[in-house]
Amino acid sequence: MLVLTRKSGESIRIGDDIIIRVVEIKGNQVRLGIEASKQLRIYREELYEKISKENRLSAMAGLDTFGRLKEVFRKP
Amino acid sequence: MITFPTTRFGSLQVREEQIIHFPNGLFGFPDLKRYILLDHKDTEIKWLQAVDDADVAFIVINPFLINPSYQFDIPDAGKELIGLEDINDLAVLVIVRVENNTLLANFHGPIILNSATRLGAQLVVESPSVYAYNIETSSLQK
Repeated sequence: MLVLTRKSGESIRIGDDIIIRVVEIKGNQVRLGIEASKQLRIYREELYEKISKENRLSAMAGLDTFGRLKEVFRKP
Repeated sequence: MITFPTTRFGSLQVREEQIIHFPNGLFGFPDLKRYILLDHKDTEIKWLQAVDDADVAFIVINPFLINPSYQFDIPDAGKELIGLEDINDLAVLVIVRVENNTLLANFHGPIILNSATRLGAQLVVESPSVYAYNIETSSLQK
C-alpha cells in the first residue's frame, strides 16, 4: 500500500480526475473532501462491507424461509 | 426466450424483456448483472433470482410495507444508472432474511428498479440501520 503524509489543507490526486483533500484533523478523526466524477461510487468502507455481508447471508435463503414469510406478508 | 437453471425452482424459462439488468450488480455479487423477479399472487414477498448463478436468490419486499416512514434520497448517479426519468417508473425493494424469529430487512441497501428500462441498482443509504421485524408480533424493532 502506498502511504503518503499530508497536513491539513493538503491534497492527494489520483489520476487526472480525483482529488482527496484533508479538510480537518481533530484528535483521532480526519475529515476528507473528495472531488470526483458523480459516476464514481464512494462509500465508507464499513458500510460497503456491511451491505455486502448482508447480501451474502441473504442469498442463502431457502424455500422454507419464503414459506414462512409468505404467511406474514399475505396480500389482503 | 431464455432458459436457465435455478437451485430452488428448477429450470426457468423467461422472456428476454422480463430480465432486470443491474449494471453494477449487487454488493458482494458484482459479476451477477441479470436477475428476474418472481412474483406471487398471494403474498407481498418476491424472489429476486440471479440468471447467471443458480444458487443466488434473494427474498425481497416493498420496504414501505414494513416501515411506512422509510425514506432515502436517490443520488443523481443512481437515477442515471437506471435511466430514471419518470418517478412513476420507480419501484423500491429491500432484501430480507430471517434469523430465529426475526426478519432482518436491509434498509441500508435498498434496490431501485426502473420498470421502463428494466434497469436496477442497489444503493447505499447511510442513516437507517438494518431493521429487525419480529415476525410473531409483527412489530418493528430498531
